[in-house]
Amino acid sequence: MENLRIDEMRVALRRSNTRLLLSAVMTFQAAAMALVAFQSGTTNTQALILAVALPVVTALTTVSMGKLWPIDRAILIMVLFLCSLGIITLSDIAKADVTPRTQAIYALAGIFAMFVGAAAIRAYKDWKKYTPALMVLCIIALLSPYLPVVGIVKNGARNWVGFRGASVQPSEFMKPIMILCLAGGFANRPKFTQCIPTIAFAAVCCGILLMQRDLGAVLLYFLTTVLMYYAATSNAFITLSGLGLGAGAAVLAYRFIPLVQTRVALWQNPWSDPTNKGLQLVQALIAIGSGGLFGMGLGLGRPRSIPLYYSDFIFAAITEEFGLIFAIGLLTIYVLIILRGLIVAFNARTSFHSLAAFGLVVILGLQTMLIVGGNTKLLPLTGVTLPLVCYGGSSLVSTFFSMGILLGISSMNAEDEAKDIERLEIRETV
Amino acid sequence: MKELRRNMRLVGMIVVTMFIALAVWFAMTVYTQGSIWASDIHNTRLSASNTLRGDITDRHGNLLATTAEDGSRQYTTNTAARRALSQTVGDIAGMSGVGVETFYSSQLMDISTSLLDRLSELFHGAEHIGSSIQLTIDGRLQAYISSQFPKGYEGAVCVMNYRTGEILAMVSLPDYDPYEIMSRSDAEVQDTAFLNRCLQGLYTPGSVFKIVTLASAITNDPNVIDQPFTCAGTWEYQGGRIVCAGNNAHGNVDLKTAFKRSCNVTFGKLAYQLGLDRLRATAELFGFNENFKFGDFVVYNSSFPRTSSGLSGLVWAGIGQGQVLVTPLHMTMIASAVANRGVMMKPMLAMQITNSLGTVTSSGQPIAYRQVLSESAASKIAEYMYEAVQSGTATRAQIQNYTVCGKTGSAEISDDKSVETNAWFTGFIYDDAHPYAIAVVIEGGGAGARMPSELAAKSLTAAIQYVG
Repeated sequence: MENLRIDEMRVALRRSNTRLLLSAVMTFQAAAMALVAFQSGTTNTQALILAVALPVVTALTTVSMGKLWPIDRAILIMVLFLCSLGIITLSDIAKADVTPRTQAIYALAGIFAMFVGAAAIRAYKDWKKYTPALMVLCIIALLSPYLPVVGIVKNGARNWVGFRGASVQPSEFMKPIMILCLAGGFANRPKFTQCIPTIAFAAVCCGILLMQRDLGAVLLYFLTTVLMYYAATSNAFITLSGLGLGAGAAVLAYRFIPLVQTRVALWQNPWSDPTNKGLQLVQALIAIGSGGLFGMGLGLGRPRSIPLYYSDFIFAAITEEFGLIFAIGLLTIYVLIILRGLIVAFNARTSFHSLAAFGLVVILGLQTMLIVGGNTKLLPLTGVTLPLVCYGGSSLVSTFFSMGILLGISSMNAEDEAKDIERLEIRETV
Repeated sequence: MKELRRNMRLVGMIVVTMFIALAVWFAMTVYTQGSIWASDIHNTRLSASNTLRGDITDRHGNLLATTAEDGSRQYTTNTAARRALSQTVGDIAGMSGVGVETFYSSQLMDISTSLLDRLSELFHGAEHIGSSIQLTIDGRLQAYISSQFPKGYEGAVCVMNYRTGEILAMVSLPDYDPYEIMSRSDAEVQDTAFLNRCLQGLYTPGSVFKIVTLASAITNDPNVIDQPFTCAGTWEYQGGRIVCAGNNAHGNVDLKTAFKRSCNVTFGKLAYQLGLDRLRATAELFGFNENFKFGDFVVYNSSFPRTSSGLSGLVWAGIGQGQVLVTPLHMTMIASAVANRGVMMKPMLAMQITNSLGTVTSSGQPIAYRQVLSESAASKIAEYMYEAVQSGTATRAQIQNYTVCGKTGSAEISDDKSVETNAWFTGFIYDDAHPYAIAVVIEGGGAGARMPSELAAKSLTAAIQYVG
């Protein structure tokens, strides 16, 4: 009896008009990749394969995940769109075919991680018991770049671990884990004293990342902690004190960390040194300006003149190729994911799940704003990634895992709602 | 849970609002600054793009720059003319930061073409060709002035139509060859050659600034023209002294005589009489201390002292020394305002921009920038400037059959008397058929203003002949 009702709910959810969205995304993927494949005299075989593979994988993922659990398909389709946009842009602008190929493989790993994330959150019933253990795991993982042999320094930040050429960034992978820890620690409306261990955990995480000079991650972890604390406790005083403390720390960081000073100076006037230190930002702005309203067109831009065009500055590269209007649309997709994610947080049955969904949405939003602001000279540049779009395995897989958690929570919500309706009907018939 | 939802809604709304703010800010800056970013000289797309740059022509349609069939950029064939036009036209390497090639690159490349136009290009299978720009410059006039510039000297000549604001010539020496910078290393080309001195040269005006001091005096007190002045060749004011050229005592003079003989003592006294505030107000009305944004080109801002550095600063400012700085273009605009019944015209460099489909997308219209003088004050100053050319310091600027008005100057640029002064002339032809104003500055040209006056006469004669 119960299962039947849930099946009906599933049917209803499936009907909730995501088909149009799915077909639109698939059409975009196929058309854009075909354009990349045939734009030069010789056909780009890899792009041609991707022109078929992207829509097929998108459809398969959406259908299979939707069959498995009653998830919010709109979020899933938008996530897959962002990921494919990254692969399309890289296919077009990257110097070698290996870059989009690698990214496509990462994306497959990410989709797998998304399934794992959804299954994991659905199975993670004993979150009260496991939260402390998870915190310890998180801190150990963040400290791993200091281990001998595997620790690596990249771009002035010691935040990578690697072995035999393969490397990962623990600060990326720990993002969803940290959110789960915070949600566990802040759940059930705790008093301030009860929050102290969780806050201490967050402070240790931020401290480690600061030592590693991963400033963007520090900022994200810090702001997310403060906002989740506020949502959980409504304690405005502690929240504002926390923000004040953060501002103080930022001033101190500016004083004592030369990297921060350089970043701020370049943000204020990148044109003072346009061919050396300001090169990245100047070239990013030039690319954005060259794109204009409608872009230079896929394959017609020259975003390669921006250093790190494939990672830190992919937003500028996309704006050059697709234009300002598309870039605004891209931001809108992020906003829609955030809004749908917030609905998931509202509908969650426990404060733990609610906070977890909320935290994942907030960190996604903050991260997007930081990097887009950094690309467009609104904010100083912090080396965070454009979620789901920019090149890089750690960030992509980790964000997919986060979105998997979000989708898992949405499926639990849907099932709970189905049960509610059923109970209501039983009561009415009795 | 209810409270949690409320808090989450609040934070969620803040995040979404921030996103909207980010999007709005982003759209606004790209809209307002995008083309400036795109036209930056560090934009490698400009030189390496598949787009064909549009032509640059002078006012008569003569090609100053064009893209050859092999994609290379071609400039005027005649080497002397090419050099004379170098800083005005610019170059695709962006060495001259204010040249048309750089400043108008987004139009020449047509980066801002509308979607509709692009679609139609696609439909016609056309290559993306940038817009062409017709300048108000007369290429022949500019080349002629450059050839007549005293050999071995550096400086600038700016010629403008004072009725319309059209810039007819902007000569700046030393110059460079746009072809050579493509093959030579940076070190081999003289650095200051890339400066367009008409726009980027900030010079001490010296006595040509007396036009502004005179304007201030007449505007503030029309009776000043009858006031008697005494010049003993030198005047001791509290804290210093001012001397006339060669310690020449001009004796008892009225304002007209003092102006045409360029009496420093009288104009020092006049500035003293006006006070810094009134003199500065007039100077600022004429455009000093103003952030010029003309849209057609970049010009550096002229300056007049904002705060008094004692009596000395005021008296010296009255004769255009001290902290007063002006560009040759701005000086031309000042003479133009006098000639144009007190109305300063907005300078114009782009006469017409035509896109690759032949549609005129923008055409320059004469725009009055500001009324800086009353008509009667303007005609009084013009009369004095006529006297200066007729029987004063600027007699060498006379042109047969035309009424020329002008003012000379020799600006001291150092306290060391062994350094030659910069020689100035600014003036105009008083003729409705040929409304041309000019400013000439010859660096180290010496006192007496013989060279700039003669060059101005030649340049204006040529302007009558070439521009028509």
